[in-house]
Amino acid sequence: MERIGIVGYHQVRPELDLQMSPYECIFTAVRGALDHAGLKRKDITTVISATNDYYDGKTISNCFKVSAGGAYMKDESKVEMDGAHAAQYAMFRILSQNHKLAMVYGFSMPSCMPFECTRILELDPTFDRPISLMNSYSTCGMQMRAYMKKYGVSEEQIAEATATNWKNAAKNPLALQEAQKADMTAAEVLKSDYLASPLRELMYPLLGDGCTALILAPEKQALKITDNPVWITGVGNCQETYYFGERDLTTSLSMEKASEAAYKMAGVKPSDIDVAELFGYTACEDIILAESAGLAEKGKGDSLVAKGCLNPSGGATSGMTPCATGLNRIIEAVKQLKGEAEEHQVSGVKKAIASGQIGFCAQNNIIYVLEGGN
Amino acid sequence: MPLPDYEKKQYKVTRTMPGAWYLSNYKYKFNLSRMRIMLRGFKEGKILGVKCRGCNHVSFPPKLICGRCLVMPDQWVTLPDTGSVATGSGSPRTDQETGEIVIDPVILVRQDGADTVWIHNLPENYSFHDVYIGMPIKVHWAEELKGLWSDIEYYDPIEDMGDKINKEELAKK
Ligand SMILES: [Zn+2]
Repeated sequence: MERIGIVGYHQVRPELDLQMSPYECIFTAVRGALDHAGLKRKDITTVISATNDYYDGKTISNCFKVSAGGAYMKDESKVEMDGAHAAQYAMFRILSQNHKLAMVYGFSMPSCMPFECTRILELDPTFDRPISLMNSYSTCGMQMRAYMKKYGVSEEQIAEATATNWKNAAKNPLALQEAQKADMTAAEVLKSDYLASPLRELMYPLLGDGCTALILAPEKQALKITDNPVWITGVGNCQETYYFGERDLTTSLSMEKASEAAYKMAGVKPSDIDVAELFGYTACEDIILAESAGLAEKGKGDSLVAKGCLNPSGGATSGMTPCATGLNRIIEAVKQLKGEAEEHQVSGVKKAIASGQIGFCAQNNIIYVLEGGN
Repeated sequence: MPLPDYEKKQYKVTRTMPGAWYLSNYKYKFNLSRMRIMLRGFKEGKILGVKCRGCNHVSFPPKLICGRCLVMPDQWVTLPDTGSVATGSGSPRTDQETGEIVIDPVILVRQDGADTVWIHNLPENYSFHDVYIGMPIKVHWAEELKGLWSDIEYYDPIEDMGDKINKEELAKK
């Protein structure tokens, strides 16, 4: 595959109740990404967004965002998935050679919508929904219990990883302010109330309004725009079955397959990866995804968090903006590769992975292998 | 045991069940920055549009973002209270009292000096058959201006007001 360069990006810092309209928020991210890359709107030929009709309270949510997203009179499309999926769609557009520069953005405003209700509407309407016991919390809880039991991982270990995520968020200037908990401890995590045992309140991310934009370019253009682009050298995407009864929640088959494909495309091994920015709802899910991506032995993934090479930004715990979280992971990995992560910089990062997901317990995963240097 | 009444007995291989498909409540956030200035203008009987410094396009009602230039337009301009019909249509409804079908005109108004249009009304009972593209119209202000969208009640057609306008002009001189 031809390398695709990430040449510009901008993340609006998420807030619990952002004082911007949706359009202003998107405009800020998209304009910011163009300014970051030193480009003009006319340089962009295709705009791909990740938004969701349910999150936006209107159908065909992208049609309202044309002006703000820089798509006026341009090739434009939307992915109703994670921003990381939108980035893949944009890559296809570039690799088809019909487009050069692609703007990708992911946006939502959880302060306007009952996010947990939208998740319930994801459920099978005939069997799972009427039981009204399945939701975002209970599925995370079931996943966590299954994982802990199978590998003999304790609640304390998960709490420790969770506390590290909150502490990492404190070092991330783009984290939600309320998620920056520099003094968080495992004990405090374990003191918080159960949302769905063993999942506790402090194990579930806070939702924030925000938008993240990313500009992708083919190799030749990328080198003209910047001296040090970050390259997407591999991508993999895999969808698991919806039905919980058919899934092994202690691992992630879709992450396994997706990462295998991405590593193969990039010609790398899991041991080559210096840092991982993965989108898990909880620290436990981060760990499961990292293990499935081959970064650690099954049941031992929490050591990655302790070492600081899994979600140094705090991951989704640093503030989850539905539709933008996967893009945030990509940007964080890009910063690590460029040595721009400041306080949460991991030293000597040459290769990184970043992932996005949708569905309960990360039913679908998409993973990118990112590399720096010319 | 009797079957629940929602089951369609005539179907052999499928059944339907009642369900709900709605998203509880939703809040819509919008920017006050542009609208506030426009409404402040209304209170003074002024039509304020906003001009983009990138492409000189004037929008009324004022737009937050210029899609052409991807900038936030910030130059306020006072527009005349006249405009023209950009296009129009008729919207049928049943009159509650007589039960007759009435067709209300719906028009897109291009305020003079603006490059955008907005949807508005003509006076009540104005026949939609009399509406044509390019028809000159004029803002009909509410008696008391409150700084609300409703300050512009509707648009008056002005083509038959030639006499009156002439008289006003002459009176001024
Ligand atoms: Zn403009």
